[in-house]
Amino acid sequence: MVGILETPFLWVVATIALYGVAYWGYGKWIDRNVWRSDAKKATPAHMYMDGVEYFPVSRYVLWGYQFKSVAALGPILGPFIGVTFGWLPALIWIIGGNFFIGWLQDYGSMMLSVRKEGRSFGPITYEFTGARGRTNLLAFVLFYLVIISAAFIALIATFWNSFKGTTFVPTIGILLTGLLCGQLLYRVKMNVFAVTAIGLALVGLSLYLGPILPVVLPFGLWNIAAWAGICVLILYVAAVLPTPTFIQPTNYIAFYPAFAAIILILIGALATPFTIGASPPVGIQLDMGPFLTDPQGILGPIWPILFVAIACGAVSGWHSLVSSSSSAKQLDIETDALPVGGGAMLSEGLLALASLIAYMVLTKSFVFGVAGDATNPPHTNTASWPVGAALLVSRIIGVGATNVLLTTFFGLVLVIYALTVQALVTRFFRLVAAETWSEGRFRIFGNKHVSTAVGLGVPWVFAVSGSWWALWLYFGGANQLLAGLAIMLISIHLARVRAPTKYSLIPGVFMVVTTLAALIWQTWTFLYSVWLFLQGDKSWIVRNVRGPIQADPNYILVAVGINAVFVLIGVVLFGVGLSMSIRLFRSYRSSVVEARGRAPAAADGGTRER
Amino acid sequence: MADSKDPTTSKSRGRKVRDAAKGVMYGMAAHGHVTAALRTRMYLEHLFMFITLGDMLGVPVIPPYYSLRILPYAVPNIKSWKQRVFRERDFTDQVF
Repeated sequence: MVGILETPFLWVVATIALYGVAYWGYGKWIDRNVWRSDAKKATPAHMYMDGVEYFPVSRYVLWGYQFKSVAALGPILGPFIGVTFGWLPALIWIIGGNFFIGWLQDYGSMMLSVRKEGRSFGPITYEFTGARGRTNLLAFVLFYLVIISAAFIALIATFWNSFKGTTFVPTIGILLTGLLCGQLLYRVKMNVFAVTAIGLALVGLSLYLGPILPVVLPFGLWNIAAWAGICVLILYVAAVLPTPTFIQPTNYIAFYPAFAAIILILIGALATPFTIGASPPVGIQLDMGPFLTDPQGILGPIWPILFVAIACGAVSGWHSLVSSSSSAKQLDIETDALPVGGGAMLSEGLLALASLIAYMVLTKSFVFGVAGDATNPPHTNTASWPVGAALLVSRIIGVGATNVLLTTFFGLVLVIYALTVQALVTRFFRLVAAETWSEGRFRIFGNKHVSTAVGLGVPWVFAVSGSWWALWLYFGGANQLLAGLAIMLISIHLARVRAPTKYSLIPGVFMVVTTLAALIWQTWTFLYSVWLFLQGDKSWIVRNVRGPIQADPNYILVAVGINAVFVLIGVVLFGVGLSMSIRLFRSYRSSVVEARGRAPAAADGGTRER
Repeated sequence: MADSKDPTTSKSRGRKVRDAAKGVMYGMAAHGHVTAALRTRMYLEHLFMFITLGDMLGVPVIPPYYSLRILPYAVPNIKSWKQRVFRERDFTDQVF
């Protein structure tokens, strides 16, 4: 077929084939020879069945739940930074990271929790590293949640400010629809199918109204700060209201357009050589790379930056929390862990692939902007993904690539992915704060309203002051470090039961070293900027912040302060992460020594470890 | 609520595929919300049991007269209540 080599089609097919090998080849081998999963062994879902937290669930239901819980903004926006180094390195990391590390972490976390009677990572960390290790984890998770919140609030504000203001009305429409659906479901007791139909009709209406009623704020450079403030208010309400009133029904209704978008993009990417009126077909336009350093001189070297920029889709620490906190308690049989944990992660890799392709089919100037061009400056074009997605999908549904409803739809999908996950993150921060400061001198921070205000106020300050790419790299660093720590916990367990550890230890060491290096690099970038300022060069200081602080010379000291705060955040994240890593490596070493002194090996993969 | 797998049931291939698709859709769209609703009910039940049996644990919440009137309804749930209350809980259990 003419032009097929210039389309993303073969790359999609090759990635699917390699993921197939990861699942049916490497995955099955690990399942049989390392974890030795046994369908006859009782899982926590059966041992502790209570019909609430512990109960067996079909593997299909659990796969759907796991996929929905792990697929969010990460696999969509990570590739946006990743393609800076060329699309080929980004693609190789999405394939290789998921093949050797990503699915292994999600599946291993689930199996570890199953073998540890359904316990989540907090108690397991306590068992392996003691009380200080668990406190360390708690501190790390708190910082991690603040950074996630900052990155997501910054992005939601940027999305509302982009797309000519067409996404705000549909977002509010979805939130109000969610509130209405919650009332219809729980108060009126209406049939769930009728509620869904009403909800989807209202979502369609909201989407239609988006381009008709665009909302553009009049504050110029302060627009992002104002949008971020609106976002924080919405998230505050979501976090303090009971989940059945707001978060639950809103996430339920938001699921349908978000899921439809994934399916449409994947079909669009696969159909590129055969699409309607494809003359020429939708082709790859972006540079292949590899570029060993960011050509625009902002991000840094390909290692370690690429490996933290693309988190979800290749490997993500958040998934280990999901796998061990809820899915493991509902696993029917042990052998379901591979399709649920590993399968969901490999499927998320396909979402990252689809997102990458949405960038690949756009021009370089559109994705990265042009240096020196005020209307299209470098690294600010967050509208890339909806435009690329619309281009792919427009060919299969036979509309124009610039159709405003289509671009509004994909812009809305970006917003709701970020908003629904962020609502859960804010609520989780509130619960963790309540756990941390429930008593003692700082118990005021355990209060529902105070903890929510802190959990949103601090990220708001970061979101309106720092560039989103800087926040994203800190978020990626923390997230990937959590993944490394999770894989180390898995390795410790495997060492204790005398199972082969090299398949998890090598990825674990790689992730820990890479992410700590990325955190050092990011921290050094901010520190170097402050140092240059002291030498009289202001260019780096303003580069790391966003407007209006970036543009107004009167705010230069504010910019210095922001850079200094980011240095502190980097130092704390690095320090807590390093301390946790050292504890885990020590625990691993002592586990190996103890296991050597014990015989025979635990052939059943875990139950004879004591 | 999702049912657990029953290996003794023989189904046609088409039916299996349909059930799998329904399961996946249910898992994506609703399973998390159903679990969250169940958990909310669990916490309310804990409260009910505590109010009912409080004076027997040394924490008098309502007068014993009312406790004794409600007791027959509370007794069947005592075992599962104990099991849930004594379970080790952690902040990492509350991700979703």
